Amino acid sequence: MKSPAAERRRPTPWDAVVALAVIAFAVVLIVLLRPTQGSAITAVVTLDGEPVAQYRLDQVTQPETLTVDEAPYPLTISIEPGRICIDHSDCPSQDCVNTGWISRSGQQIICLPNRLVISLSGSEDEEFDAVTG
Amino acid sequence: MSGSLQRLTRSAVLTALALALSVAEGLVPLTILFPLPGLRLGLANLVTVYALCRLSGREALLILVARCLLGSLLGGNLMALAFSLTGGLLALAVMALALHLPGLSLFGVSIAGAAAHNTGQILAAMAVLGTRAPLVYLPPLLLCSLVTGAVTGGASILLVHRVPFSSRA
Repeated sequence: MKSPAAERRRPTPWDAVVALAVIAFAVVLIVLLRPTQGSAITAVVTLDGEPVAQYRLDQVTQPETLTVDEAPYPLTISIEPGRICIDHSDCPSQDCVNTGWISRSGQQIICLPNRLVISLSGSEDEEFDAVTG
Repeated sequence: MSGSLQRLTRSAVLTALALALSVAEGLVPLTILFPLPGLRLGLANLVTVYALCRLSGREALLILVARCLLGSLLGGNLMALAFSLTGGLLALAVMALALHLPGLSLFGVSIAGAAAHNTGQILAAMAVLGTRAPLVYLPPLLLCSLVTGAVTGGASILLVHRVPFSSRA
């Protein structure tokens, strides 16, 4: 395959254009995925597309644990006031445990081997209620 | 030695090299430094760049598919296979196109390939999970791909020039 790129030894200005295009793509995604603001934080635990549990993190007062035994690799989820994490998982990658605590809307914990997602969402309506009420 | 035998041998050696690189990379995961699921240096991509530059698109594709299949036998599972194939094929397609653009060097080609690989992996994760949740990992992965793409790009420039496989030149 004849290609000029294969023969060059130094970066060219067009390489910078490629890099800027990647940055621009990342920035556009960040803006599009910006979390909604709100004081109400709802955590939804989804296993293989099916919601298995839901918590209002702002209304949790006592630390709780949820054990998901029906997952392919059983795991334990810890819920504390305002935050949630995967405490322990039998999955091989441990990415979900390493993610640690999440507390802001738009954040997620994903355990890919288990096809389990914990996602946080805030609702603006709740914040509206807090302002007017 | 006949031409086709030489090409077969080359492809086999490069497949073994790509496999060894991806296993070696798994021993020193970047995710320890920076906890981002799916983050890797992409050393096996070096072989893809090399095959595209010095062999042909067809051989690059065969090497990639063989590496992904063998890699999943070595330590992964079917899901890992889906990820490496989706990411790898998208990266291969993007780099094959980028190599035909005038004005780019292998730095730009590798960065485009790394970004395409990450995008492919996230798309596969979205398909597997059935939600768009994994998309939040894409922007940080893309920014990391600038660094990993530049590193593998620099390495691929050395590789392509030092190992010319002269018979087709």
